[in-house]
Amino acid sequence: MSSLGAPTPTALKHLASVVRSKNAGPLCLTVDLFFRDRPAYERAIASSGLSADSVAWLYGVQAEQVRRFDLPEILAIKLAMPRALCVGDPGDGDVYGAQQHAPLLEVLL
Amino acid sequence: MSAVARLLSSHKPGPERLRVLSASGQLGYGIAAESFERGLARRPHVIGCDMGSIDPGPYYLGSGQMAAPQAMVRRDLERVLCAARALDVPLLIGSAGTAGAGPHLQATLALLREVAQTHQLSLRVATVTSDLPSDMLVQALQDGRLHALDEATPGAGLPDAQAVRSCSHIVAQCGSHTFMQALRLKPDVLIAGRSCDTAIFAALPMMLGYDPGLALHMAKIIECTSLCCEPGGRDAMLAQLGEHDFVLESMNPALRATPASVAAHALYEQADPWQVDEPEGTLDLRQARYEALDERRTRVSGARFSPRPAPTLKVEGAARVGSRAVLMAGVADPGLIALLPQALREVDKRAHQLLPGAWQMVPHLYGQGAVRPLPAEQRSSHEVGLVLEFLAPEMELARTAAAVFKQNLLHFGYPGRLSTGGNLAFAFTPSECEAHESYRFVLYHLLEGVDPDQVFVVDAQDWSWQKEAA
Repeated sequence: MSSLGAPTPTALKHLASVVRSKNAGPLCLTVDLFFRDRPAYERAIASSGLSADSVAWLYGVQAEQVRRFDLPEILAIKLAMPRALCVGDPGDGDVYGAQQHAPLLEVLL
Repeated sequence: MSAVARLLSSHKPGPERLRVLSASGQLGYGIAAESFERGLARRPHVIGCDMGSIDPGPYYLGSGQMAAPQAMVRRDLERVLCAARALDVPLLIGSAGTAGAGPHLQATLALLREVAQTHQLSLRVATVTSDLPSDMLVQALQDGRLHALDEATPGAGLPDAQAVRSCSHIVAQCGSHTFMQALRLKPDVLIAGRSCDTAIFAALPMMLGYDPGLALHMAKIIECTSLCCEPGGRDAMLAQLGEHDFVLESMNPALRATPASVAAHALYEQADPWQVDEPEGTLDLRQARYEALDERRTRVSGARFSPRPAPTLKVEGAARVGSRAVLMAGVADPGLIALLPQALREVDKRAHQLLPGAWQMVPHLYGQGAVRPLPAEQRSSHEVGLVLEFLAPEMELARTAAAVFKQNLLHFGYPGRLSTGGNLAFAFTPSECEAHESYRFVLYHLLEGVDPDQVFVVDAQDWSWQKEAA
């Protein structure tokens, strides 16, 4: 792997130690990203790959519906956004919301 | 003297910390015996278990069924009840039977009673009933006292009165205040319907005079047992609560509660990492501090609780959609895969002509974006898994629709078709299955302007058994 801070973009999955999604109540999806070290975290918060606009595009929601919390003490970023469907409504494909992290894995930072 | 009475009269914040043992975050899925025994050896003052969640969806609240298998629930109840009685300490259980509505509470209580009788354990059991009549919600709707959790969230608007009345069960999450009301009945065991996870572990410490911010923060963390550790686990978790902080320790020696793992847990299943809303106020975690006591234990302090002037209750209600039959099959022909959405629409039209009635097909096309929308280039062109749901007012119609649809899709003549033997690969037959009833959440809202003492019914009963002659 190239060293951190190198100019080449790196996929989030190589910079994070945990990438998880889960419901926060039946109407809200939340994604927690924990980074391997401080340089990885700094790189992530500075990148446009995790901006509200980028996340909104990935998840098909409006940018103003994406809430992002930067948590430098624990090298984490938290995202929260509305679910497309209420949990368990006909057509919902992920009742726990546990597999909604996938599109973030390849995001280049 | 009951276990709660004894604790209330014998313990107060001081040199001896309050030892709170969280035995299970999901009672009914097994309790790791060795870790639990280690917890008991530390002589906890109280044992708590969370049993419920809204995670598994609207079915359990709607149907009144438990998510956990009954035999496992009985086994777990036996383990915690026998332990609590042997130590003569309170046993507190929240969100009975998954969804915490009347049938869940009664089913859990019946299993507890069975265990108590088997072991000839005489005890006083307090209960909290968390069910709400739909009229109360309709009135709140008319008075403007029912609110969406996040006003900006689409679909989170208010239901109409008819939708509210269609709910088979409506519950509210009771908070620490209601747990305290039940604890004032001086039981040995408290078993509550739908509850805030925090109330299970925070109410008794607050009654004993501990700081509400600390008690609630501790409760918030340990209700998931050892999930806050590195690595995470389901083993029993011990919290030792003092006047200014609490210390966390997993009862599995392989699991470490580190400042990072505990702080990270605050994010779990929470939309906001800093703020936890309770019926009686808000827990603010901005000033929380996490310090390593050693490599397996973390000391936590600094959380603040701000009471709100009037309580708000989170209400949950689920209504039946219909009966569900499911058809499962695979498709491997790239020609059909490319045309699949159109083919399903066409077959749907034909099947509705052949079988009139209020049935509806809901497709899940695995490999094509069933889990989340997939861009075209990521969709599979060589194999697709079809899970087709058929929803109808009665199971008979749902099952019939699945069968009619199956046969018409199997032999659907799409343009360019080369394989005239059949369009579907079945892993087994019958390939259409009855898949329970379908429910949906109608209510997941905030209710204002109600007195928790008018909503939650607190009661107690004494169980004693005639000892049979040897």
